[in-house]
Amino acid sequence: MSDWYKDAVFYEVHVKAFMDADGNGVGDFAGLTGKLDYLHDLGVDCLWILPMYPSPLRDDGYDIADFYGIHPAYGSLEDFQKFLDAAHDRGLRVIADLVMNHTSDAHPWFQAARSDPASPYHEYYVWSDSDRTYREARIIFTDTEKSNWTFDPVAKRYYWHRFFSHQPDLNYDNPAVKAAMLDVMRCWLDRGLDGFRCDAVPYLIEREGTSCENLPETHAILKEFRRVIDAEYSGRVLLAEANQWPEDVRPYFADGDEFHMAFHFPLMPRLYMGVRREDRLPITDIFTHTPAIPPNCQWCLFLRNHDELTLEMVTNEERDYMYYAYASDPSMKLNLGIRRRLAPLMDNDRRRIELLNCLLLTLPGSPIVYYGDEIGMGDNVYLGDRNGVRTPMQWSDDRNAGFSSAEPGALYLPVVTDPAYHYQAVNVAAQEKDPASPLNTMRRLIAVRKQSPVFGRGTIEFLRPRNQAVLAYLRAWRDETLLVVANLSARTQPVELDLAAHEGAQPVEMLSRNRFPAVARAPYFLSLGPHGYYWFRLERRDRRPVRYGIEDTAI
Amino acid sequence: MTTAAPDTAAVAVALLTYNNAETVKTVAAAAAAGLAQHFPGVRAALVNADAGSSDGTPDLLEAAGLPVVVARYEPPAGERAAVPFHGVPGRGEGLRAAFAAARELKARACVVLEADVASVAPDWIRDLAGPILGDKADFVGPAYARHRWEGTITRLLLAPLVRALYGRRLQQPFGGQQALSARLIDHLLVHPKWNWSGRDVSDLWITGAAIADGFAVWEAWLGPHIVRSRTRTGDLPTMLAETLGAIFTLMDRHQDLWLEVRGSEPLQTIGTPQAPLIEPRPIEVEAMRDAFRLGVRDLGGIWDLILAPDTLGEVLVLEAAPGPVLRFPDDLWARIVYEFALGHHYAVVHREHLLRSLVPLYLGRTAAYVQATRAATAEATERTLEGAALAFERQKPYLVEHWR
Repeated sequence: MSDWYKDAVFYEVHVKAFMDADGNGVGDFAGLTGKLDYLHDLGVDCLWILPMYPSPLRDDGYDIADFYGIHPAYGSLEDFQKFLDAAHDRGLRVIADLVMNHTSDAHPWFQAARSDPASPYHEYYVWSDSDRTYREARIIFTDTEKSNWTFDPVAKRYYWHRFFSHQPDLNYDNPAVKAAMLDVMRCWLDRGLDGFRCDAVPYLIEREGTSCENLPETHAILKEFRRVIDAEYSGRVLLAEANQWPEDVRPYFADGDEFHMAFHFPLMPRLYMGVRREDRLPITDIFTHTPAIPPNCQWCLFLRNHDELTLEMVTNEERDYMYYAYASDPSMKLNLGIRRRLAPLMDNDRRRIELLNCLLLTLPGSPIVYYGDEIGMGDNVYLGDRNGVRTPMQWSDDRNAGFSSAEPGALYLPVVTDPAYHYQAVNVAAQEKDPASPLNTMRRLIAVRKQSPVFGRGTIEFLRPRNQAVLAYLRAWRDETLLVVANLSARTQPVELDLAAHEGAQPVEMLSRNRFPAVARAPYFLSLGPHGYYWFRLERRDRRPVRYGIEDTAI
Repeated sequence: MTTAAPDTAAVAVALLTYNNAETVKTVAAAAAAGLAQHFPGVRAALVNADAGSSDGTPDLLEAAGLPVVVARYEPPAGERAAVPFHGVPGRGEGLRAAFAAARELKARACVVLEADVASVAPDWIRDLAGPILGDKADFVGPAYARHRWEGTITRLLLAPLVRALYGRRLQQPFGGQQALSARLIDHLLVHPKWNWSGRDVSDLWITGAAIADGFAVWEAWLGPHIVRSRTRTGDLPTMLAETLGAIFTLMDRHQDLWLEVRGSEPLQTIGTPQAPLIEPRPIEVEAMRDAFRLGVRDLGGIWDLILAPDTLGEVLVLEAAPGPVLRFPDDLWARIVYEFALGHHYAVVHREHLLRSLVPLYLGRTAAYVQATRAATAEATERTLEGAALAFERQKPYLVEHWR
């Protein structure tokens, strides 16, 4: 199916953090390959690999020094190919991060560009004799950067960078850059990669007098990339990272001919807010501000990722509330966000974690699970930057959580040893033995989600019960209707749902397969335990055995 | 039975009955009329093997005026509780009892008629028994005048499969009516491989054994086949599982024969071949396609065990294909059926589950066939069906290669 991504459950994984096969303290592709069965059993469909290219790692790999290689710490190209083939053998797809907007200043293109103005690579970057051009463009990393221009003493000119000064922007007004980036994509797609998560896409083109973001020329380039990929490959996907409001992300879907998918950034903080406030309004409200997208496109939903829990897409009041609620210690804050994992954000409350996963898997879009969150891994706020949420995967209670045989001091980051989330208690091996563990619960939820295409493809209609602590919505696609009811509060709640339009239907709870009383014209009464939830399939009771008109004479 | 049982009869007409009071008199009368018209003076008898009717069916036979011989047998209790698709519990054992009675009568021909077929005509006796009594055939099977959308299990699945396996173009592998020579009956009754406890397998096993052991197999064009039955099932999955399951089971027993067979040849026929009827009929194509889609959604796990990855991939592509018309390639369908046969052979999943999981695929195939022939002439419809059958022959090496 060419639109497989609409039904897929994604899994975000950092190669360095998952499994270390060669014992040097850094995860690698051989290690990841060895854990593919685990991912297959979890039920995910597509892995999203964070940047795996050669890089000075001054921005965790988002500063790429060679688009065609594999960082030596992660293995070789051959290791990557073995991993990709092994994933495909298990029916798993793989997409990888691709930074289109810029390179590392260590990239040979930039080195050639700065050392020789006559080099064809000079025009691969954006140069100026003044640092006053494009002044309307905001500075994104205000903590570290004072300008989007940096003077290069070798070239004796300023170069443009929207992110760190060691990440010069590529010049997409130069057709050779477009061609070079397309060749990069072809190289990986030829190897069998199933697509790219495209980093920082709004900034490809600069124009004087504009914010230099989301420009029509940028969209034209992205569409050109899509056109070429569609023409030369099938079943590949492009996922846009554009941390913007949904209406501003909407143009990246264009008419279904630009990106297949884009992250729904503002939903995520509102899920946390809804659970904390025990009020469905923040969640239902954001959907009223979510525009329709073309039928071949899809939102990507997530609870956590490798960055901080970004609060850019909330109001100032909401941000204060989120800090108050979820970042009691100032060290937990970073930039405009909170650098914590799912379980600590939920105070390690199993029911709340499960409830959020329930919402992640049932709201419209394709969910992304961040590695380790399926077992309720903790974080380490004392590690710098966002490293606290990038610690080694916890496989067992062995040394280094079973992640590596290296000396503990040689690990790229220490394993979590906080008493509540210690790897000796929170690990895959222990949870596999426990049928009720977070891991097995997640497996069940994913398995049930995969029983119905409605979750990935259906419409959503929110019900408005009087009890504001209950979030209830209908998902429908073709002739199938699902009902999700969730108690956002920590106390048992009653709720009456107006399901008159489905009178006669019989709700079948999808996790237990239990049949509930049929829907009548009167309000449908349910009670929900603390943070409890139901996934119902509404079966029409008047359904008679289908007749095709061939039965009487079929033999 | 009050009619004196005869010592001998040249023609035995066997009726396997089970609560057929509504139709059995018509069938017996047609048999008697056929014998009188076409074989005057030939001594004949009705052989009745009843499966335990509670509606007095056996008592209604005498009205036909033919001597009646009762062939007793005890159908399996399970088949009386869940009657097989043809409507007669223990049909295989009933056939054996009837054949034994025919041999006792020293009958030269034994004509088997279904007791619930309302469209039976005296000419059926002529066309079924004629080639036997004329010493031309040892086995005569039926072909019927049918609408193009009747018999979709037979036309799209059973007949092409049997044709590719046995190399003979039988129109109705489970046709019900048939005639056998004394020579063939003698052969069958002592055949060491006829497993009488095999559920519903007997009809096809008889045909297969006749082909395998070099008997002359013919086909008679009988006209319309209209059934009035209280005991036959209208449940598609059951029909498909029982008929296809019978063939799959026989494939294990007859593998010495079919593994070597290539191509196919038509049968000798008697009667006038009938082109398919093509008048419009209401067929719920969209409901079939919905069932196909549901199957793709719900049965991927089981198909994954049965189908090769490429085959399953093609099925998924079909399901996802846009547009109002479903195109189901003939070769893909043949390969699916063969992979189900292999899955049955190697018992990759519980066999009943395997057979029933084919139903959505069959419905998708049928929907595509109905759509493809909706505006076609009778000749074009025949060409479509021939194309479907040829695909089974074309793909057979794939089956053979994976069977061994």
